[in-house]
Amino acid sequence: MDAAGPTYVVLGSGGHTAEMCRINEALRLANHNDGAFAQVRYIVAQSDTTSQSQMCKVVPSAQDRDFIRVPRSREVGQSWLSSIFTTLWALLWSFWLVWRDRPQLLLCNGPGTCVPYCYVAFLLRLLGRLPATTKIVFVESYCRVKTLSLSGRLLLPLADMFVVQWPALATRYEHKKNLRYFGRLL
Amino acid sequence: MNLAVVYVTVGTTKFDALTTIMVSDTVLEVLKKRQCQKLVLQQGNSLPVELARIQEIEKKYGIKLEQYSFRPNLSDIREADLIIGHAGAGTCLDILENGKAGLIVVNDELMDNHQMELAQQLADEQYLYYCRVNQVPSKLSSLDFNALKPYERGTENMRKFVSSLAELMC
Repeated sequence: MDAAGPTYVVLGSGGHTAEMCRINEALRLANHNDGAFAQVRYIVAQSDTTSQSQMCKVVPSAQDRDFIRVPRSREVGQSWLSSIFTTLWALLWSFWLVWRDRPQLLLCNGPGTCVPYCYVAFLLRLLGRLPATTKIVFVESYCRVKTLSLSGRLLLPLADMFVVQWPALATRYEHKKNLRYFGRLL
Repeated sequence: MNLAVVYVTVGTTKFDALTTIMVSDTVLEVLKKRQCQKLVLQQGNSLPVELARIQEIEKKYGIKLEQYSFRPNLSDIREADLIIGHAGAGTCLDILENGKAGLIVVNDELMDNHQMELAQQLADEQYLYYCRVNQVPSKLSSLDFNALKPYERGTENMRKFVSSLAELMC
């Protein structure tokens, strides 16, 4: 068997990045340095100017080369017609990266950027390009109390672990086998 | 509880209804009664208060008004006895994690439903208060900010999540 692939942490922006930083800080403090989280790659949108430095503050060992810059599907205010092309382009990118790196874990918390990565990983695992042990983990944002985000709704059917942070969501989706509720993480 | 320093923050939003009511005579009257000496207004993309009005407020109510659009606000948060803000998750967490009394004011014009849900949930758990713009004067005069519960961080839950993630990867 090949060496284990990296962990892909897909960074959103603003509040999403802030939450993901907390998660990564916790991972670092839990000392899972040897196992699954040994090698982390952070997926960041090209236009995102703050997420990388935010993450470096809590994970000082993160190097420049650990951050993979990718095109964003859609910028705020972009027209729908051109969105179609940029979305396809972003999808191609995600396909290429997941094919190349064969991540063993995809960890994400929205917004949209993470969706194509998860779908591509799901597909490539089905086709055998990724090992069956590859996991897709989605953490719904702290600010979603009663309803799932769009990314959440898109990823609920395929995530191996889907975390919600409030009791109303936990009750609403308790029949889902992949749903986990630990209480609020912040 | 005295509200010597009150910090109003709207993040990156435009929330003229809140900034306007905060410098209305009704609210300033209430703030004066609660021993307010300083009002810091982070108005983001909302309209700034006119200079003449700032001087008038200081003269009439003895409240020093400081306003700005954007700047790192950690010291504003720490200095405040009460934080009044929009329903953004960032603002809610700033209030809770710094152990501050907070009043979240819902921006009816935005109708960003899920953010309202968060403020409502946190209010239900008595970590902060929550109201509409027109309720601000009455809430400010009646609310007992000492009755709010201190917020415990979700560190233990995070630890459980991390170990269950490690288990998943075995």
